[in-house]
Amino acid sequence: MSLRLKNISLPLADFTLEVDVEMRGPVTAVFGPSGSGKTSLLDLIAGLRAAHSAFIQLNETVLADTARNISLPTRRRGIGYVPQDLALFPHLSVRQNLLYGRNSRVADQLFAFGHVTEVLEIQPLIARGVRELSGGEKQRVAIARALLASPRLLLLDEPLASLDAALKEKIIPYLARVRNEFRIPMLCVTHDRFEALALADEIVVLVNGQVMQTGPVAEVFARPANAEVARFVGVETLQPGRITGVHDGLAAVSIHHVTLTALAPAAPASAVFVCIRGEDVVLQRDTAVSSVRNRLPARIISLRPEGALVRVELDAGFPLFALVTRPACDELELHEGEIITALIKTPAIHLVPR
Amino acid sequence: MNNLFFKVVTAAAGLLSLRPAHSAEITVFAASSLTDSLRRVAAVYEKASGDKIVFNFGASSTLARQIEAGAPADIFFSADEAQMGTLAKQGLIDPATRRDRLGNSLVVVVSRDSVLQIKSPDDLTNVVVKRIALADPRAVPAGVYARAWLEKMRLWPAIQPRVIPTENVRAALAAVASGNVDAGVVYKTDAAISPKVKIAYEVAQPDGPDIRYPMALVRGAPQSETAKKFLNYLSAKEAGQVFARYGFLLR
Amino acid sequence: MTAVEWQIVGFTVWVAALSMATVLPFGLALAWALARGNWPGKSLVETIITLPLVMPPVAVGLILLQVFGRRGAVGGFLHDRLNLDIIFTWRAVLLALSVMSAPLLIRSARVAFEAVDPRLEQIARTLGAGGWRVFFTITVPLAARGIVGGMLLAFARALGEFGATVMVAGYLPGKTATISLAIYENVQLGQDAHAFRLLGVSVALAFAAVWCSELFLRRNKTRT
Repeated sequence: MSLRLKNISLPLADFTLEVDVEMRGPVTAVFGPSGSGKTSLLDLIAGLRAAHSAFIQLNETVLADTARNISLPTRRRGIGYVPQDLALFPHLSVRQNLLYGRNSRVADQLFAFGHVTEVLEIQPLIARGVRELSGGEKQRVAIARALLASPRLLLLDEPLASLDAALKEKIIPYLARVRNEFRIPMLCVTHDRFEALALADEIVVLVNGQVMQTGPVAEVFARPANAEVARFVGVETLQPGRITGVHDGLAAVSIHHVTLTALAPAAPASAVFVCIRGEDVVLQRDTAVSSVRNRLPARIISLRPEGALVRVELDAGFPLFALVTRPACDELELHEGEIITALIKTPAIHLVPR
Repeated sequence: MNNLFFKVVTAAAGLLSLRPAHSAEITVFAASSLTDSLRRVAAVYEKASGDKIVFNFGASSTLARQIEAGAPADIFFSADEAQMGTLAKQGLIDPATRRDRLGNSLVVVVSRDSVLQIKSPDDLTNVVVKRIALADPRAVPAGVYARAWLEKMRLWPAIQPRVIPTENVRAALAAVASGNVDAGVVYKTDAAISPKVKIAYEVAQPDGPDIRYPMALVRGAPQSETAKKFLNYLSAKEAGQVFARYGFLLR
Repeated sequence: MTAVEWQIVGFTVWVAALSMATVLPFGLALAWALARGNWPGKSLVETIITLPLVMPPVAVGLILLQVFGRRGAVGGFLHDRLNLDIIFTWRAVLLALSVMSAPLLIRSARVAFEAVDPRLEQIARTLGAGGWRVFFTITVPLAARGIVGGMLLAFARALGEFGATVMVAGYLPGKTATISLAIYENVQLGQDAHAFRLLGVSVALAFAAVWCSELFLRRNKTRT
């Protein structure tokens, strides 16, 4: 798919949203801190808001072009929207909610009712009233409702934000299923880096209404364009890895020939991204006994001062980054080329299924 | 309850009014058809005597109800005997002071720009005359008189469905002036007042009812002595000239 | 109660109900525009709508008389072109009741519409629903309680309307006689028994209407 957003200018409370990107998907994450204009951007794409200036094109169709005074009304844009508060119609049953956007012409329906309800596992809920559903159930119904309207693009506003950790892990596979089974391009808004990593193929980093960086997820995370992106993305080490074994809630993850111990993820997976934040890596000279499971001998490749900190690039069998304070750097007398021990606590290693 | 209410209102009014001690205020309840003429008479009298006249104009039937309920009237000047008689029967007026003062005649009026022609009473039954305004024929003297006349002409059954009853004769006049009715039956003296209506037909004396305007002192009137003086003035020649100027017949 | 009195009661209830039906479509549209929109002249319209609630009813009646009389802007047209009279007919009663009670309906409906989450309407649009469909399937059902409560309140007001009615309709027995006009007329004529019976009916009707109205309006508040 191709979603072009050009010359977007929308004044908001504290700043102006200015966007100029092309998104290809299949799943794009719009990532940024709260209040950076992400929801406004979704509203703009869906036609719920009008901008000072905007050019929005989805595949072949121009949805909006202020220069030529074109603006397709919301109901004709064919864009599914799952808002953060889900907005299920409280006075209708689940079935009525699901069927609300359903086209009466079967030929125009993209997905079968049975198929969607099966994939999202909401069949037992159909006859119930909306108020009787749990948080996770409401989420799935909201997604199903949007899908059953045969959208060309699905917008999701912070789909995992209101869920607790356990529920988040449960919903992510559903979203993956939606992507794989239905092949609908999706645009997810999120402020959680791990959500973005888990869901998206490409990412658009939006801070204070400005696009800071776009590109494939792993690349943006691994190579943030500037300090601001780095601050929000904040994962200095991002490597593909493989879970080789799970035992007693701990997983053995191998990156190249190095094996790390991490907390086992809830859903079983073998191919994962291994994420380690720079501030979670401790550098040590002597090999005293400690509680840390991951003790890696590493060679210092480079030292780069960044304000009060120093960014240390290491080769631990795979590229590893550590952030230490300058005084610490001086005290340890770190030099390039030296061998040193890198300590990473087990819970600090995040595994995101690929 | 009504009695008490009016007494409280009068007392309050008395307390609030500022007047030199020797002049009095007389309250006169009079038929609405007397509005303009009586005000003129009173103006002259007030300058001469130093007394103040306060009027309550309305349908004689309504005024009679108010006096029954204890309204503080000094003089009642009615447009027909029926209303005065009702009060007399209840002993609410001083019979010694009662006398018929004026007469009047009826006319059919239409709006000034109307093209309606009423050459005889039968013309009122013409289909073009869809609405005729009368003061409420059940109680208001002007309406009662009009009905009596139409019954005498044997036209009442045909006219009745078209009647728009109004609260008093001046309201009937206003309805004709506004153009919302096609014609109205009012006193000849009323027709003269409004420039927006014209007389289409005059009811000749033998056809019309005997219209009498009796006036009397209300018993227990607060200002009976001063009121009697004004009542006598109303009977006098000077007042009569004013009434005649407005078109009333003198008795 | 005599047959005439029943006729008066029946007529009053009938015209009040008819005025509800007349006011409803226009009133709901206006209430919705006030709840959602932000358009030039909105404050002016809000103020004009409230006027019949606070002005003397006879003053409102006088305005109606000027506009709908045979010489008025609207009345003149109706009389000359369509041979239709408003003043001094049951249509004038309908007019007076509608104008005097509409503000109550519009205000209650507006509050009810404002309580409906606009997000729900927006999502309905993304699902392909056009303006009318959103209005009738989402907005109105969610605002229903408040709307019905407002209608009942307006109905009660219409039942008791006097000042404007007496100006534009007059008391024509059998044609424009409402309960309130009949009470007034009977007191004028000294027929107190009639007046008190009609008074009793008037109180009973008003009580019932307001009671039901409160039921709807009260539960609407607790639900949201």
